[in-house]
Amino acid sequence: MPIVQFAPLNSLVEPPFWHALTDFKIDVLRLDDTAVPVTASYSAGRSVKDRETGREISLGCNLSVNGDAYKEDLQLPPHSVPVTGIFKNFNTIEDFKAADKTVLFNSVADEIWKSIIEDRSTAQLSRFLLITFADLKKYKYYYWFAFPAFVAKPAWVIDDDWKAADEEFSEDALVAIQQDLHTNPRPFFLIRTSSGKLELAPVESYDTFFAEVPSEQRTIGFLDPSAAPSNPGWPLRNLLAYLRAVHPASTSKLRVICWRDTELPGEGHWRSRVGVLSQAAGASAEAHAKPGAVGWEKNVQGKLAPRMADLAPMMDPTRLADQAV
Amino acid sequence: MHAIQQQYWAVRDYLSPVLKESKFKEHGRITPEEFVAAGDFLAYKFPVWSWERGDASKARDYLPADKQYLVTRGVPCLRRATALAYTDADEDAERLLSFGDLSSTGNEADEWVETHTGRANTHDSAANPGEIDEIPDADDGAGDGGVSGAMGGLSLGDQGASAGEIPDMDDIPDMEEEDLEAAEDEATAAPTKPVADSEGLEPCEVEVAKGNLLQVRTYDVMITYDKYYQTPRIWLIGYDENRTPLTPSQIFQDVSADHAFKTVTIEPFPHSATLQAASVHPCKHASVMKKVIERMNQGVIEEQQARRASGGAPVQKDKRGKWLFRRASGNGKDDKISAPPGEEDVEGMRVDFYLVVFLKFIASIVPTIEVDSTTAF
Repeated sequence: MPIVQFAPLNSLVEPPFWHALTDFKIDVLRLDDTAVPVTASYSAGRSVKDRETGREISLGCNLSVNGDAYKEDLQLPPHSVPVTGIFKNFNTIEDFKAADKTVLFNSVADEIWKSIIEDRSTAQLSRFLLITFADLKKYKYYYWFAFPAFVAKPAWVIDDDWKAADEEFSEDALVAIQQDLHTNPRPFFLIRTSSGKLELAPVESYDTFFAEVPSEQRTIGFLDPSAAPSNPGWPLRNLLAYLRAVHPASTSKLRVICWRDTELPGEGHWRSRVGVLSQAAGASAEAHAKPGAVGWEKNVQGKLAPRMADLAPMMDPTRLADQAV
Repeated sequence: MHAIQQQYWAVRDYLSPVLKESKFKEHGRITPEEFVAAGDFLAYKFPVWSWERGDASKARDYLPADKQYLVTRGVPCLRRATALAYTDADEDAERLLSFGDLSSTGNEADEWVETHTGRANTHDSAANPGEIDEIPDADDGAGDGGVSGAMGGLSLGDQGASAGEIPDMDDIPDMEEEDLEAAEDEATAAPTKPVADSEGLEPCEVEVAKGNLLQVRTYDVMITYDKYYQTPRIWLIGYDENRTPLTPSQIFQDVSADHAFKTVTIEPFPHSATLQAASVHPCKHASVMKKVIERMNQGVIEEQQARRASGGAPVQKDKRGKWLFRRASGNGKDDKISAPPGEEDVEGMRVDFYLVVFLKFIASIVPTIEVDSTTAF
């Protein structure tokens, strides 16, 4: 049985975020380099059909940060769910290089684990870390994201391959899920069918919601930022860690739906995927010990190193004047 | 010079009055109210579009505070516009497309012509040797090389862009820290580049990409209301496949050659204090929109008259009646046709459709950016 491979989240930083960072750094933070909360968002993975070859091309598994990230009342793009994270800006490139990234990473992973064990909440499952150094004079921004995800040992395996959702669920059921999530977008949810009617509930109500439901009719769902056919998105990892830690007895085998249909498919097919995941025995020995975590984002060359956004072509007044002929 | 020009535009924009009277059928221009109505329609029908508030200090008072501009994020752009340069060979490859739901009938008048349909195939010289022969290969004899060579020559700013694509290595602090993560995590999927298989893709289509990777760029597309020109105006912010922002010259690769550097320029985005974005200059929007609207209007009126005559209207009417009904106040020739005094008998094309049509027009300027999600219907 193949090991489930999760598609890592990719950061997508919209230029307004860097503009906002510039103002925030100059007007509010100044030389203060304490961590600040920021909010990002992700939505279901999208794929496009290449009109020339007819193949589906999946777009990235993106977590986007926009200019509102520092604000309390940010306006989310439609169908997306918010994710809170920690943002730390360093004053010099030397500080940025010298920062103890392992400590920063572990502190975020600890916070996630604490929210699982103590609060039994899924609200912080996708918490992320962003460290930056802003070279304001050159309009260059060095940044590095980390999306901590707990490593399951032994790894999750999938019984069969991932299937299209309409092989497992009826059309009506999928429409019902779509409508529920359309009015009330949520990153993680539970699905049950009681007397022919499909119901959704937050993951926190696992015990009551699934009390009367035989295990083969239980389904775990999550809004999947990945669009790759056989790779569920990164957020599932921590959801699985949550379920194993909080409900160890009943979660060694799970049916999971990767929800990818924010809109009803017109004449196309449902994009969501369903798979039955299982974890070999021997995992739940010490359920409350924090597992190891991974999740630093790789750079353009595929190495573990920071990325850089060079906004000089779009921000530097002299260069803008050059191209405006 | 550019700065002075921008100041001038800003002043002109400030001084120009807000259009009050509906003129969309006569001039192709719309009022802010109509912009909001058309935007509401677009956002309802195609939920990828949504309203944004923008920077509060830049809010325009003639638009509702929470409906300053429309935005859609992550619009895919699979190929560069330069790869779409057509040859004479595929001139006749046209196909009629019908967007049934959009105009609510299968009437022929609603069909759009898709040109160059068989283009991907005609590139395949092995499969279609006959057609390739018709192209005069002046310099280099090989038919296939002639076509793709010409395409390669057309690509715009290609050299500069590919050089700019890889950031200077000196600029990136040398701090690869492989030891951050102890071992390879077996449950992490390999980096998912949108890989295209080599079949069916000509080298010229993949352009600068190495190893047959499709460079899937994404764009954030904004539509604002331009007070001076009284039309919507489109703005683009692009990202490459690694999600780093595109430079202006890279954005121009996605603009059809007729428009790059002429109608598409980098301007300060009106709803942000600092942001710069590529924009299609709206000076010709009104006249183009007028032509398109006139043509569509004719079809819509005929269809409505036909439906009224047949008497099978009620169901459709109810469905459409949900939309804010606005009647154009002008007295153009369309209104002469709709002379019957009935209330909502023959109204012609309603202004709600304005942005849907507008997107189709924009799609001709940026052919590879799929702004026109409306074709999905």
